[in-house]
Amino acid sequence: MPYEANVTDVAYRYDGSFAGFLCCVFESYARHEIPSEVCSPEEGQLNLFGTREILADRQRAKRVAMGLDRLGPQVKDRIVTGFLSTDPGKDLTLLRFARRCFAQGPQAVQMLGDPDVAAAFAIERAVNNEAGKFIEFIRFEERDGMLGTVIHPKHQVLPLLRGHFCSRLPDEDFLIFDATHGTALVRRGGQVQYLTMEHYTPGTDEDELNWQQLWKRFFKALTIEERRNEKAQMNHVQKRFWKDMVEMQGSV
Amino acid sequence: MDLAEKLEILADSAKYDVACTSSGVDRPGRHGSLGSCAAAGICHAFTPDGRCVSLLKVLYSNVCSYDCSYCVNRRTNDRPRATFTPRELADLTIGFYRRNYIEGLFLSSAVLGTPDRTMELMIEALHILREEYHFNGYIHAKTIPGADPLLVEKIGRLADRLSVNIELPSETSLTALAPDKKKTAILRPMGQIAVQSAQSKKEMVLYRGAKPFAPAGQSTQMIIGATPETDRHIMDLTEGLYKKYALRRVFYSAYLPVVADSRLPAPHTAPPLLREHRLYQADWLLRYYHFSARELLTEDEPNFDPYLDPKCTWAVRHPAFFPVEINTAAKEELLRVPGIGPKSALRIIQARRTQNLGLAELKRIGVVVKRAQYFITCKGRAAAHANRAEIANALLDPKAFSVGMQQLSLDDFVPKALPDAAPAVQKLAARGVAADVAAKTVRQEALQCLTKRM
Repeated sequence: MPYEANVTDVAYRYDGSFAGFLCCVFESYARHEIPSEVCSPEEGQLNLFGTREILADRQRAKRVAMGLDRLGPQVKDRIVTGFLSTDPGKDLTLLRFARRCFAQGPQAVQMLGDPDVAAAFAIERAVNNEAGKFIEFIRFEERDGMLGTVIHPKHQVLPLLRGHFCSRLPDEDFLIFDATHGTALVRRGGQVQYLTMEHYTPGTDEDELNWQQLWKRFFKALTIEERRNEKAQMNHVQKRFWKDMVEMQGSV
Repeated sequence: MDLAEKLEILADSAKYDVACTSSGVDRPGRHGSLGSCAAAGICHAFTPDGRCVSLLKVLYSNVCSYDCSYCVNRRTNDRPRATFTPRELADLTIGFYRRNYIEGLFLSSAVLGTPDRTMELMIEALHILREEYHFNGYIHAKTIPGADPLLVEKIGRLADRLSVNIELPSETSLTALAPDKKKTAILRPMGQIAVQSAQSKKEMVLYRGAKPFAPAGQSTQMIIGATPETDRHIMDLTEGLYKKYALRRVFYSAYLPVVADSRLPAPHTAPPLLREHRLYQADWLLRYYHFSARELLTEDEPNFDPYLDPKCTWAVRHPAFFPVEINTAAKEELLRVPGIGPKSALRIIQARRTQNLGLAELKRIGVVVKRAQYFITCKGRAAAHANRAEIANALLDPKAFSVGMQQLSLDDFVPKALPDAAPAVQKLAARGVAADVAAKTVRQEALQCLTKRM
C-alpha cells in the first residue's frame, strides 16, 4: 500500500500560496504522513509537537497540480474553489480531500458519506454560495465612465466573480474592490487584473446619485405593506451585505 | 411629471404581478452588446415583504380602459396615472442593468385604449432595447388579452419569456369579476405561444439563422382567495396548464382586497399567504417530484392542510409506501420521502455507489433528517424509533406557527404573528391573545389532531 500514511502530530506551515499548499500535499506523500494542522504564516499557532516549514517549490507544485488535473475538473474545482475560503481549517481539510481523491479516483467527489469529502464539499459550497450572493447584490456606481463597487466578503471571492461580470458587461470597464482582503478586480480596455488596493472612495457625481435615488424609489414602491415580513427579507439578504447595497441605506 | 414619479407610480401598479423570475434561458455575453442570462435566474434584491426583485417590474401604462373589480388599476379607481415613453423605459432598463440592480425588464401594461395599441407601444420599447441598445439581458413581457396574433408573434421575437394572466381559477369567476376579459381571449394567445415556441425550438436545431421565439417559454398567474375555488380545483387547473400549454411556471397571488365589493372578500381581510405558500409547495411537487394533482388532494379533503406541507400530508396518508430503503430505492421513491429533495436524492444516488449510507452520512449529504428519519431504513434497519406524537411533532410545519417580535417603543417588544402564520393563529391573536400563546395553543391542537390521524 504505497499511499498508507500515519496521522502525525506535526503541523505544516507554508507561505499561504496555492503552490505552497500543493507542496504540503507533496510533503504529506513523501513522508507518508497526514499532518495534524496545515497553516499559513499569519494563522500559525503554538504547537506542542513542532511545526515544519514547507517551502514552495515550483517543480513539486507542478507535479501535484498535474496529478489533480488527471482527476478531472470536479476534483480540481473543489480544491481550487475551496482554497479561496478563509476558514481556519480549510488547508487541512483540502489536503485530506486531495489524498482521498488520489486514492479513490475522480468518483471520490461524490462520496459525500465520507467525512473528508463532505467537509471539502461544505467548504466549496460556502465559497460558491458567497460568490453567488455577490453576483446578486453587487451595486455598481459609475464614475467617469467606469463602474466601481466595494464589497466585504468573508472569502476571497473575486476570481469567482470575474467570469460572470466579464461576460455580462463585455464592453465596460469596471472595478470590484474587496475591502476585507485589500484586493481589487479591475478590468480596463479588455484587460483584467488583480491589484492590491487600500481604499476606494465612492463617487458623488450628481447624475450617479440621481440613478441611485431612482432605484431606491422603485424599490420602495415595489414593497407590499400588507405582506411585510422582514424576517423573510433577512433570510435572503443577510445583514452583512446591507452596508454595500444602495437600497438598504437611509430613506428615499 | 418627472421620471422618478412615473417610475414610482408604474412600479406601484405593477407590484401585484408575482412573476419576477429571470430563469429559463442561458445566454452568455457578446462583445457589442450588453448583458447575459443565467438559466437558474438571478435575484438582485429583496424588498421588506421578503419578495425577490429580479427584473425592473413596471407597467408601461396604468391608464386602463377596463374595469376588472379585483384590480387596483381599473378605470373607476381614483389613483395617480402615468405612461412611459418607449425611450424612457429603455434608458431606465439600461441604467439599472449596468449598475447590477436588475436582471432585465418585466413589462406589463394596463389596456391603454385598445389591446393592439398597448402592445404596439410595448413592442416599440423592446425594439429600442434589443436593436438599438443591443440589450442581451432578460425580458419578460405580458401579452395583452385580445391583441392581434401578429403582435404576439412580434413581441415573442423580442422577449425571453411571455405570459398571459389567467387571472382567476375558473370561467365563472372571470365573467363575474372581469367582464371585459373573455376566457378565449386568454387561452388563444397561450396556445399560440406554446405552438410557436415549440416550433422555433425545432427550427433552432435545424437552421443556423433561425430566430428564437420566447426561448424561456411562457408562464401565467392567478389570484387566490378572491373567489371560492378549492385547492383541488386550482391544482387540477395548474396541472392541465402545464400539460396542455407546456407552461414553465404557474404563479399564485394571494388576493389583497383593494376595493369594497359585495362579490369579493371585505377590505382589510388578510391575504391568504399560507395558502399561497402551500400551493407553491404543491406546484413544486408537480414539477420536480413526479406527483400528480389528484394524488395530493382528494374529494374529501379538497384543501391543503395549513399545518402540514403537502408532501408530509401525502406521506401520512400513505403509510404503506414507507419505509423506503435509502441504499436501494429508485430516485422516484426517494423523492417521496419528506425531507429529501431533488438535490439530496441525486447526491444519495451518487454517494451510495461507493459506500453504504447510514443516518450520519445522510446528514452530511444535506437530507432534512428530522423529518426523513421516520420514513426510511438504512441497510435494512429503521433509522429512528418514535411514537406517533413524536413523529407528528417533527412533521408540523413551523411556518404555520411563526411568531416575530414587534417593537412598540425603544425597549418594549411584543410577540406578533407573522403574516404567513396559519389563519387560526392570526384569529386568536386578533382576539387579544398574546401571539406566542396563540401559536402554542393552535400547535397543540394541530398536534393532537395529527397524532390521531396517523
